[in-house]
Amino acid sequence: MHQRTFLTLAAVLSALWLWSFPAQAQQNAVSQAPAGGYAGADACKDCHAAEYESWEKSRHWKTSNNTRGGPAKQGCEACHGPAADHVANPADTSKLFLFPKATPKAINAQCLSCHASSTQQLHAINSLHARSDIACTSCHSAHHSATREFLLVKTQPELCYGCHQQQRAQFSMPFRHRVNEGLVQCSDCHNPHGTERSHQLRTSVTEDQVCYNCHADKRGPFVYEHEPVRTEGCEICHTPHGSPNVHLLKMSNVNLLCLSCHTISFANAPGAPSFHNQAAQYQACTLCHTQIHGSNSSPFLFK
Amino acid sequence: MGIITPETSRHDQQHHFGRLERLRRNVFSISGAGMVVLTMILVCSAGAKAQNPELPDQGPLQQTGEASGKAGGHYTTQQTIEFGYRDSMINGNLTNYNMFQDYASGWRLFDYDLNIHSANHQGLLFDDLTFGNFGYGGDPVSVSRLRVDKNKWYDFRASFRRDDYLFNYNLLGNPLNTTTFSTPIPITTSPNASQFVRHMQDYDLLLLPESRLRFRFGYSRISTKAPGSTGYEPTAAVVSSDLVGTSNEYRMGVDYRGLPRTTLSFDELLNYTRVDTSLASRDFAFQLANGTPVNLGAVFQGTTPCASPVINSATIPPTVASNCTGILSYSLIGAPRAKFPVERFSFQSDYFKNFTMSGSAAYSESSNVMTDLNEMFNGWISRTVTRASTTAGPAAAKRVVADVNWAGEYHITDKLSLRDEFYYHNWRIPSAWLTTQTNLFATKAGLGQSGLTLPISPATAANIATVCPAPFTAVNCPQHNTSSGPDVLSEAVSQFLGQDLKNNLLEVKYDFTKRVSAYIGYFYQTRTIDDFAATSDIGEMYFPGGATATAANRFLAARADCAVAAGALPSDCSLDPVTGVITEVGPEATNDTARNYYHIRENAAEFGVAARPKDNLRINADFMAGYNDNSFTRISPRQLQSYKVRATYEPKPWANVTASVDINENRDNVYTVNNLEHGRTYSLSTALSPRSDFTVDLGYGYMDVYTQTEICFPDSSILFTQPCPVAGSPSPLGTLSFYASRDNYAYTDIMFKPHKRITALVGYSGSIVRGSTTFLNPLSPAGTLDFNYLMPYASLTLDVYKGISYRTAWNYYGYQNYGIENPAGLAPLASQNFNGNNVTFVLRYAF
Repeated sequence: MHQRTFLTLAAVLSALWLWSFPAQAQQNAVSQAPAGGYAGADACKDCHAAEYESWEKSRHWKTSNNTRGGPAKQGCEACHGPAADHVANPADTSKLFLFPKATPKAINAQCLSCHASSTQQLHAINSLHARSDIACTSCHSAHHSATREFLLVKTQPELCYGCHQQQRAQFSMPFRHRVNEGLVQCSDCHNPHGTERSHQLRTSVTEDQVCYNCHADKRGPFVYEHEPVRTEGCEICHTPHGSPNVHLLKMSNVNLLCLSCHTISFANAPGAPSFHNQAAQYQACTLCHTQIHGSNSSPFLFK
Repeated sequence: MGIITPETSRHDQQHHFGRLERLRRNVFSISGAGMVVLTMILVCSAGAKAQNPELPDQGPLQQTGEASGKAGGHYTTQQTIEFGYRDSMINGNLTNYNMFQDYASGWRLFDYDLNIHSANHQGLLFDDLTFGNFGYGGDPVSVSRLRVDKNKWYDFRASFRRDDYLFNYNLLGNPLNTTTFSTPIPITTSPNASQFVRHMQDYDLLLLPESRLRFRFGYSRISTKAPGSTGYEPTAAVVSSDLVGTSNEYRMGVDYRGLPRTTLSFDELLNYTRVDTSLASRDFAFQLANGTPVNLGAVFQGTTPCASPVINSATIPPTVASNCTGILSYSLIGAPRAKFPVERFSFQSDYFKNFTMSGSAAYSESSNVMTDLNEMFNGWISRTVTRASTTAGPAAAKRVVADVNWAGEYHITDKLSLRDEFYYHNWRIPSAWLTTQTNLFATKAGLGQSGLTLPISPATAANIATVCPAPFTAVNCPQHNTSSGPDVLSEAVSQFLGQDLKNNLLEVKYDFTKRVSAYIGYFYQTRTIDDFAATSDIGEMYFPGGATATAANRFLAARADCAVAAGALPSDCSLDPVTGVITEVGPEATNDTARNYYHIRENAAEFGVAARPKDNLRINADFMAGYNDNSFTRISPRQLQSYKVRATYEPKPWANVTASVDINENRDNVYTVNNLEHGRTYSLSTALSPRSDFTVDLGYGYMDVYTQTEICFPDSSILFTQPCPVAGSPSPLGTLSFYASRDNYAYTDIMFKPHKRITALVGYSGSIVRGSTTFLNPLSPAGTLDFNYLMPYASLTLDVYKGISYRTAWNYYGYQNYGIENPAGLAPLASQNFNGNNVTFVLRYAF
């Protein structure tokens, strides 16, 4: 019984494995014969040598192997459409998809016709960039990229700073995430193609705030949670990109930030007790309340 | 080009990650993992070259520019190495410099890049390989990134990042010791200082990327070490802390693309995080008269640690009175272990005509268990007359998450589309903490004994009847006061926090022309937050004994939770008439056992326009206004508005001008809260490259941040007299606190080539920040409110020979604090300012 189950399972997995391969994968589909309105990439090479060369050296070359998609998904014509008429009459570009002349919506649709299945583009519908008519080609260039990786027109963070100018100033603050230094990239926390969360933020793998991807020691869960950390997010106290203030806090004085809530709130934020004389001592509540992100052993977040 | 410093400029356009100058240690080091990867790459590249050594060198590759590379076999190999020395000459507050920049003198590997490309895509192991590194040799940031892929077979990415960060800002957490105290103690380092070293590794393998069925495997590891210091609350002492954490994450996923225009994915993830925390006493800056080292804490004000601590300052270390609050020894060990398994199903589909949708559903039930908290204190806490204590017990918390989202977009016509996003996120954190605490109190004082020199009473639950018999006046009776805690505490704590969140965004977008589109949308979100807390005393024991013991207070056994009220003990406290011990069993009277629910409904309308009036002009405007009917914290907004306008104009192919306005306004306008926040940013930048040998980038940004809130607080100064406006607050005084900050940020980058072999760069980046805030304490330094942080630079690069170039770079760092650094009456603090130069000598070889 077990042997039969095992054999059945093995057969199914083998079938799936074989099926997963593109049928009759060709080592070099570049030079295949024109089919229908398609001319093949080699036909483009003579006139567009530089573009052909850049394409051939990029990872887009892989489209040559897409036999399942046929000529419509191969080579230059995978992006630019059927070129047979254009080859016959170079002046005829009527059936070509010309990116500089296309609308952002059309460009994005063209790119997503292949890239939609990528995990990074899963939430492309939610993309705030797409909603604002920012085309894929605003950040990526198939032929004139500055980076091999992702074919970006500029490196991060310069690419993002092009539009998001205030972040450039924030990342130049004394207290900042080290984005300019190359430790962290904008795309580590944000997915420029869209996510289900606000600000196109990624989530941590534990379906939590993206901050915990690096700040794992603050992830908890804790017996005594500092509730707003969970419910409102880290940004309730921190400005994530950069700040004039220590620990990227929203205010220069820690006690003012704490008292903003600990003055009796609508939730369980107790007011500062009468023996916390603000004129006597302590620049920061965190001198004693050290486990401000949560504690397993102290309801007052002492330890 | 933006911010380009001499050490980043040339390569940034080729590199897939940016970099600035980074220096700290003089020792060249590559991690073990990095060395293994480097060795593998070099072996692979060597093997590739060996396959067909007869092929001639090929021309330069696209995107990697200047190096011609070498061809061998099916591959072209290109390498670039930058190596050199940095001389760092910084004056002033080096701690702040190390916190903000941390580039020290020494030899460095500034950059190493390896690119191997199979021109004919016939490589045996891979088609493309890119391997980039920077920062090795002691810089605070070291990064390596690797990507290897082979056509339809696999795509592999790996990265290693090392982050070395010093935090030691001496104005934060400073206890503000006064000069008027008998022994003013200046605090020159942060009580919460730490030296973070974080290693982050990520590995991702995608198998069969072009097939219908593709597989993903991943592994990530974060290891954190953070030796430093922290505070111990009862004595306000600074103790050493050591945090060692590792987070290992394993990922597996499969994508199925067998259905037309549809992708189905399933992911299984497991994260295992361990955090080892240990605290230990240190800073024994004083001694008792008998020579015993003692830590008197960081606060020296009023009667803390005692009225006149130093009795002989001539000794080394100074001799202090024994009746001060202080630590003779302290330790804490805790080692929580957390497991986070996550299952996620996701899909994306264009199956239906004109309709696209995607979504995912995930579930995680994680747990964080700490079995071994162990805290021991030996010292003296004068407020509670506690002489020693131990705390131990296991803790466990779970986090259960269900996350579902769906988004669909329907193109009703070519111009009109309808989009809907739904998001459901539910989590709950039930937790428990079973603790046992023993508080040890002193015996009656013998001759010359007080506080820290008092013997500890030998009384225990088993021998209290003999050690301290009625009438509880024996010498060895534990000496309590009315503020003393229980002698033995054993309790079970149960906590709960959860949130149920649902939101939906419905949006209509219309393309008026090919150049103008607009959208309008409505967002609705409902959140329900609930919490619960209960503590049950398994056995809380109060021993009798103490100087103020009377029959009325049950010889001081009736204290804290079991204090006499209206002449009787609380119902959950019972007195043993033989031993005089009062035992509390049952739920705490202060328990908040009913579930508290907080419902928040959020509504927002949004509107936006995207216009391209000309090919070289793009304008985007996005507006949002929302209203929430409740707020969970006082600084969570009830009303919020957002206005964003961005414009990009390219008057010439070589000229680009970008301007943006970004305004966010939040309000919680309940009259006892009066919270108002805004962030307003105005930016303008231009990039000009009229010739290949001359480029100019300029930019300016103005950020205006403001926040205000009504707060209540106790304060003995005469600055505040207004009563607290919030009913129920235990603090008597109130004021409208505020924080305002204005930042003028500007940058310039100019590149010019006076000769074809010479490249010159000069530039500047700087922030001028001015702010103001409420000062509750006249002793508080202004801290980070007002400063100039300026960083000009210049560099000269000489192309010496084919592939070889030499560069000299100069960077200046100037941090000038303009606020009140050392208010009158505060024990002296060091200046926060630093300034100085870094000069770098770099040899670059591309081959």
